[in-house]
Amino acid sequence: MATQYQNDKFSLKPWFIQFISRYWAILLFLVVWQAWVVINAFNPIVAVGPFAVLSDLINHPEIYLSNMFITFVVALGGLASGMILGSLLAIASWFSRFVSAMLTPLAVMFASVPVVALIPIFARLFGFNITTSLFVVVVITFFPSFVFTSSGLRSLPPGSEDLFRVLGAGRLTVLWRLALPAALPNMAIALRLSASHAVLAAMVAEFLMGTTGLGFLFAQNLERFATERAFGAGLVATIASVAMFLVANAIESHIHRRWT
Amino acid sequence: MPSNRWIKNALPGALGILLFLLIWELLGRTGVLGLTWPPLTSVIATLIDPSKTALFLRATSASLTSAGTGYLAGGALGLVAALAGHLIPTLQEGLSRFAAVVNSVPPIALASVFLVLMTTESTPTAVAAIKVFFIIFIAVQSGLRSATPAQHDLFTSLGTGRFKRLWLLEVPTMLPVAMSGLKIAVPVALIGAFVGEWFGASRGLGVLILNAMQNFQISMLWSAVLLATLVSLAVYFILTMVESIVRLRLT
Repeated sequence: MATQYQNDKFSLKPWFIQFISRYWAILLFLVVWQAWVVINAFNPIVAVGPFAVLSDLINHPEIYLSNMFITFVVALGGLASGMILGSLLAIASWFSRFVSAMLTPLAVMFASVPVVALIPIFARLFGFNITTSLFVVVVITFFPSFVFTSSGLRSLPPGSEDLFRVLGAGRLTVLWRLALPAALPNMAIALRLSASHAVLAAMVAEFLMGTTGLGFLFAQNLERFATERAFGAGLVATIASVAMFLVANAIESHIHRRWT
Repeated sequence: MPSNRWIKNALPGALGILLFLLIWELLGRTGVLGLTWPPLTSVIATLIDPSKTALFLRATSASLTSAGTGYLAGGALGLVAALAGHLIPTLQEGLSRFAAVVNSVPPIALASVFLVLMTTESTPTAVAAIKVFFIIFIAVQSGLRSATPAQHDLFTSLGTGRFKRLWLLEVPTMLPVAMSGLKIAVPVALIGAFVGEWFGASRGLGVLILNAMQNFQISMLWSAVLLATLVSLAVYFILTMVESIVRLRLT
């Protein structure tokens, strides 16, 4: 293939050409941003350049780290609980076609609900605290996890279920030895889909309720006109979100390699 | 028999939705979750209250306008970027990484940047556009690559030019994938618009929801969220129909 050949050619080039070819758009964006701030001579209250944001990040890492830790705990905790809850419900509905048919339209419906609009409702229901942020992430993760796990549990290799039945395997054995392993790649897809959203959703919830975490740091400094710190919080959240996505992506491709 | 199978699946599905609505109503009636969980009937009563119709209509049309404009702008941008990356392979990798990073920027941070760049009324459109951009970019990009090597070989052996290949092979195979992207982007565009509206827009469902939360107007809060959900579902449903038509025509 042509693209294959090009990739080989790229790897022979010096590292900085490779770096430019990968990150040219991001670098260009940063340069334009800095130039825009300098040329317009903005007051730091209005807009700050990437250098100001970065220097605040380097000079006060403890503020960012402590808040990032909270947001990370919320995102990871919510992600794990949502995945587990969704998978458990998918397994429960796997035992009964009726329950599964009953839950599927609801799950599909909820998957297209603008979840951000639900945050104010959760905030009123559970109070303005960290539990609500956690709950928001759980809800965001739950539906993809349920939908993908259910479909994975049912998309078995052709004939495999008959083989298990002929060999006298019970329902639980089929679940443990056949359906769950078959569903694992799908569960990995659900994880990847939710991973990058988890941090962002946690941050939006924290922003609205103004309690703790990166979203709180952002809201607080935006109000104080400390724009560089507000943007810094945004930058840290972006990095955290990309990191979560990359880890989930690595997990997915690892599972994909082992299973298929 | 198809009709029999349809009943087998649709009946429990309807039952599930009915059960969900019933539990909602009962939780509200008994008040076990406190005052902040109103019964379904009171939420609907607020939603269809004639004195509030004008308010809801104005908010819905404002949100739909900004989400729709952002959807079109972001979709066009995503299409152009994906095409550029496809036709000029040198740009491809940088564009993908840039799009992925932009997609990971928290929407609230995006909104606060757009506030500087443009008016508070166009911020919702811009946030919606950025979020839609990424989805369409990814969908078109992978769609353009979905033609099989055998199809490419045929076009190569017939000596097809680059643009003719794009138009006759890659664009048609891209359309079903792009259509799925367009469908997924609908709730995303609305979410973008709602978040954008929190930053000082004068009207819209996002404004309504936020104000109701802050002023403890519980049934108003729930009706606005229900309305937002229904709008999102309706548009999503329409695009699902369009998608199945496209699939029928092209596959």
